[in-house]
Amino acid sequence: MGLVNDVPLQWFLALSLYMFVLGAIGVMVRRNPVVMFMCIELMLNAVNLTFLAFARYQPSGALASGDVPTAMAGQMMVIFVMAVAAAEVAVGLGIITAIFRLKNRADADDLGSLRG
Amino acid sequence: MSGFGILTAQIAIPLAGAFALMLVPNQYTKAIQWIAMLFSIASFAASLAILTRFSGGTYQMQMTEAVSWIEPLGIHYRLGIDGISLWLVVLTTFLNIIAVWFSFYVKSRVKTFFVMVMVLLAAMLGVFLSLDLILFYAFFEASLIPMAVMIWVWGGSKRNYAALKFFVYTFGASIFMLLGILTVAALHRNLTGNLTFDLVSIQKSVASGALWAQAPHLQALLFWSFAVAFMVKCPVFPFHTWLPDAHTEAPTAGSVILAGVLLKMGTYGFLRICLPLFPEATVQAALPMTVLAVIGILYGAAVAAMQPDLKRLVAYSSVAHMGFVVLGIFSLNHIGIVGGAYQQLSHGVSTGALFLLIGLLYERIHTRLFADMGGLKAKMPVFAALYLVLMLSSVGLPGLNGFIGEFMATLGAFQSGIEGAYGLNLLLPILAACGVVLAAVYLLWMFLKVFYGPVTNPLLHRLKDLKTHEVVMVGLLLIAAVWGGLYPQTFLAPMDRSLAAARLMATSAPGERPSWADSGVQIAEDGTLFGPSEGPLPEFVIESSSPSTVGVGR
Amino acid sequence: MNVNALIPTVDWRALAPFTIVVCTGIVALIIEMLRPRRNNNLVVGVSLFGLLVAGWSLFGMLGGPSDESFAGMILNDRFGQILQLVMVGSCAVCFLFSEPYLREKRIPFAEFYPLALWSTAGGMLMVSSKHLLMVFLGLELLSISLYCLAGMSRYESKSEESALKYFLLGSFASAFLLMGIAFIYGETASLHLGRISEVLGAASASPLSTIGAAMVLVGLGFKLALVPFHQWTPDVYQGAPTNVTAFMAAVSKVAALGALVRFLWAIGTLDTVWFPLMWWVAVATMTVGNLAALVQNDVKRTLGYSSIAHAGYLLVGVLAAFSAPGRVSLDATAFYLISYAAMTIGAFAVISLTASGQHEGTRFYDVRGLWKRAPWAAGCLVVFLCSLIGIPITSGFFGKLLIFQAAFDAGLPALAVLLAVNSAISTYYYLGIIQAAFVTEEGAVAPRFGKPSASLNLACAVCLAGVLGAGLFAGPLIRGMGTAEVGPPVGVPVQDPLTIHTKNTSD
Repeated sequence: MGLVNDVPLQWFLALSLYMFVLGAIGVMVRRNPVVMFMCIELMLNAVNLTFLAFARYQPSGALASGDVPTAMAGQMMVIFVMAVAAAEVAVGLGIITAIFRLKNRADADDLGSLRG
Repeated sequence: MSGFGILTAQIAIPLAGAFALMLVPNQYTKAIQWIAMLFSIASFAASLAILTRFSGGTYQMQMTEAVSWIEPLGIHYRLGIDGISLWLVVLTTFLNIIAVWFSFYVKSRVKTFFVMVMVLLAAMLGVFLSLDLILFYAFFEASLIPMAVMIWVWGGSKRNYAALKFFVYTFGASIFMLLGILTVAALHRNLTGNLTFDLVSIQKSVASGALWAQAPHLQALLFWSFAVAFMVKCPVFPFHTWLPDAHTEAPTAGSVILAGVLLKMGTYGFLRICLPLFPEATVQAALPMTVLAVIGILYGAAVAAMQPDLKRLVAYSSVAHMGFVVLGIFSLNHIGIVGGAYQQLSHGVSTGALFLLIGLLYERIHTRLFADMGGLKAKMPVFAALYLVLMLSSVGLPGLNGFIGEFMATLGAFQSGIEGAYGLNLLLPILAACGVVLAAVYLLWMFLKVFYGPVTNPLLHRLKDLKTHEVVMVGLLLIAAVWGGLYPQTFLAPMDRSLAAARLMATSAPGERPSWADSGVQIAEDGTLFGPSEGPLPEFVIESSSPSTVGVGR
Repeated sequence: MNVNALIPTVDWRALAPFTIVVCTGIVALIIEMLRPRRNNNLVVGVSLFGLLVAGWSLFGMLGGPSDESFAGMILNDRFGQILQLVMVGSCAVCFLFSEPYLREKRIPFAEFYPLALWSTAGGMLMVSSKHLLMVFLGLELLSISLYCLAGMSRYESKSEESALKYFLLGSFASAFLLMGIAFIYGETASLHLGRISEVLGAASASPLSTIGAAMVLVGLGFKLALVPFHQWTPDVYQGAPTNVTAFMAAVSKVAALGALVRFLWAIGTLDTVWFPLMWWVAVATMTVGNLAALVQNDVKRTLGYSSIAHAGYLLVGVLAAFSAPGRVSLDATAFYLISYAAMTIGAFAVISLTASGQHEGTRFYDVRGLWKRAPWAAGCLVVFLCSLIGIPITSGFFGKLLIFQAAFDAGLPALAVLLAVNSAISTYYYLGIIQAAFVTEEGAVAPRFGKPSASLNLACAVCLAGVLGAGLFAGPLIRGMGTAEVGPPVGVPVQDPLTIHTKNTSD
């Protein structure tokens, strides 16, 4: 507990921002859909970290409109994000597998039949 | 008056015809043709009924109808008729009979063709009869689709290009009219607090000068937003390029209606909307508009003279003839406006007739190129005779209808030019008069090429002259042309009060303008205003009992 | 801590349409597993019935006052209800013409129906909540189902490619949306839009909230296909099976627009930042969509670009409503959405007819002969395209009229003029489609596709009724919608040179 309190909020934010930007650059630079997807996961984790950091640094006992502690909103969000990310993984890998079956390779540069 | 009446019937008859046609199975071609004819005749009968009920002694809207349509937006179904629209309605239904009759020649997709003709008729009548600006716009646009489809499906070899150009040009121009309509209505709402697109009430607040007092800087902008839409429709010189293509590719019935009626929607728009709603802007625009009109007259004539194709030639001559209409209207004096309005009608008759004759010829020899013709006079004497008379009416030979309109329009421009009113000068009418001469040159040249000389095309040897029903078809138009030339007063008398009112709406000072909403003020024979002998006038005051001479613009 | 305080008031009625749609999806899935392999009629029937019930329950709520329940998670207001109705209706029409299409393309994928139902439910959640968690969940429910649906034709590489593109870019955009939400949460300590609006209104704009808001707008803009986040749209619209494209064009656009309106309401006080931005986005979206559509040679792709352009038109309505909240309501936008859904789905429904076997058949030359083969559908297509152009008396015309009027009333005439210019441009490519469907060239090859099924004709009829009915009865419809208010006033930072200085009138 004490250790966390010693780390200022900015550090958490800096780390998560770093992860987020890294993920974003990865999506734009890499061409393998699996890697691109991992980069997106990295971005989502950055989001989670941001939420948790903000939740941790809420003034204690602060209540939101529904009498729910404000910290809880952020923590709750993280759980949902994780669940949704898992669902996305399932669908995403499914699509990548389907493409792989059709073409025997999966690369974003091969996706050229839709142009115009 | 509220509720539906005879004007709704006038629009509903062709629509009912379209529905009736849809119910007939495709293969009963004869039935389809005669049902279309029946509804065309019924529609003409309705317009004659309107004609008999019409009273020429007033410029007010007559037989008005108003039914609430889209209340939250202030859009109503409002119809009415006055001298400006009266003859256009009759002309429309009259030409439609001829077009339907000729279309008995159409062999492919007969049902769809007649449905399109009927829908087009309803839309055109709607344009001439509606008094609500949104309704006007709706009909104005609705007439596009059947016409485009007619060109598209039954057109010539370049029909795709022609139909697309026709549609994109006219739609692109008129969408700005919609913006203009909305802005004018918004200004009227600021003034009175209620949102309406009623032409009569908006014009009332224009007449008192209150509407434009709020936003004088907008008037010219809004005038042009309407004017461009009408200029494309007319078409006035730089916006005419769609017309030759559309005419050349359209089937004959389409050409007749396009030349006879559709183009008039543009000039009608000037008279019905631009003059009454944008008075100061109209006066300012008189010079540029007349200049463009004269350029159109000369350019149309010059280009027509160079065409190798009969239909293209007549199409370019339309550009020139419609130039006279615009010249007359924007010379902004009584004789000019009356001449312009008259020229609308006579152009409808004579150019419609020329397209019809070309169509009849095309059905026989399947070509329209001068190169393939020559010596037709010997083969088709009746055709040649009819052609000559109707062509001369288009040239403007005295005694035929074309002369009256062009002469009066040019005279009006002379008068304004002599007075130096509205920035006009004498050069314009002089050049326009040269245009008449040019028209004579190229039309006579055309006649020479087609009907005289040796027969070069072997196809022409087997040519048959017009059949009786074809002679009747053309003869009807011929009668109209001769009548219009000999007794123009028949047509002019019901129109002139409304035309005078339109002119005064544009050229009088605010507060002295007549208003359709104000039945107290009337217009005398000489085109001046007079009020009732007793009793206060609603809204604005005109010196009662003594006719007040209204000055020429400001 | 008081435990009772944690148990929120629950109004199940507010959630009823959503619940019905989700449960219908579950039932449909179970039937799909148990059904005989021969046909999907039972699945379709049950799904349509469920949608009908959901629509009916929404219709019943339409008059009621707006309220929130589930601790502010669910919002039940008129705007949301109208949008939900549009989505339910769109989904039902899509189902009507899906079965013959799926059979023609031999896509053995009856899971289409449950997935589409859940996707609809996601969209419904997005527009009926003021809580960012719910908006996020709705968005993901909508999107994940759509990722699967886009790739539903598993033997077509186009379909799979479009699914992968949609998936990668979609989840990329979701990450931005989430990061934005996180920033806003950091600034305001809340995920509820009402609370966010209060907090942001009290303080001056901080960089954190501004960047957060911008990132959320990126995420929503992606879903709505606003320029510059539109690149996925044509690819996905072209590659996905046509019935999915129709669904996507209508439902996901409506949902994203609803969420965008709610979010813009919450960050209303930051309008000095977003208003000029969105102004330019609207202009760019209209223009880019229309210009790009001009040069396409595939009908679905053209319609994809046209949907981008229409998103721009819708945005004009939204901006008008936000810049003059007292005078201009969201009615124009809501009306336009209704007509947009009807005409777009209708157009795609007719185009779905041209598929034959594995061949998608949506190139312009594939559509030739449609008029001969299916006159009724082709006739309907003309009406839908005329409505997309904005020709009277279709609902597209009145929609544009309302948006023009809203833009003028809000003092944004420049947007109205640009919209008009764009409408004029758009005629060209819509006419190209009509031309392809109607014009028979001499010596053209006979069309490969078959006769339309009865259910497709019915779907066309429903859309036609929507397009023409909304046009002719625009008055009662607008009055029935009431006035969808957006909330507290926002100033107009962009001063437009053509502004008409209105005297304030109360009418």
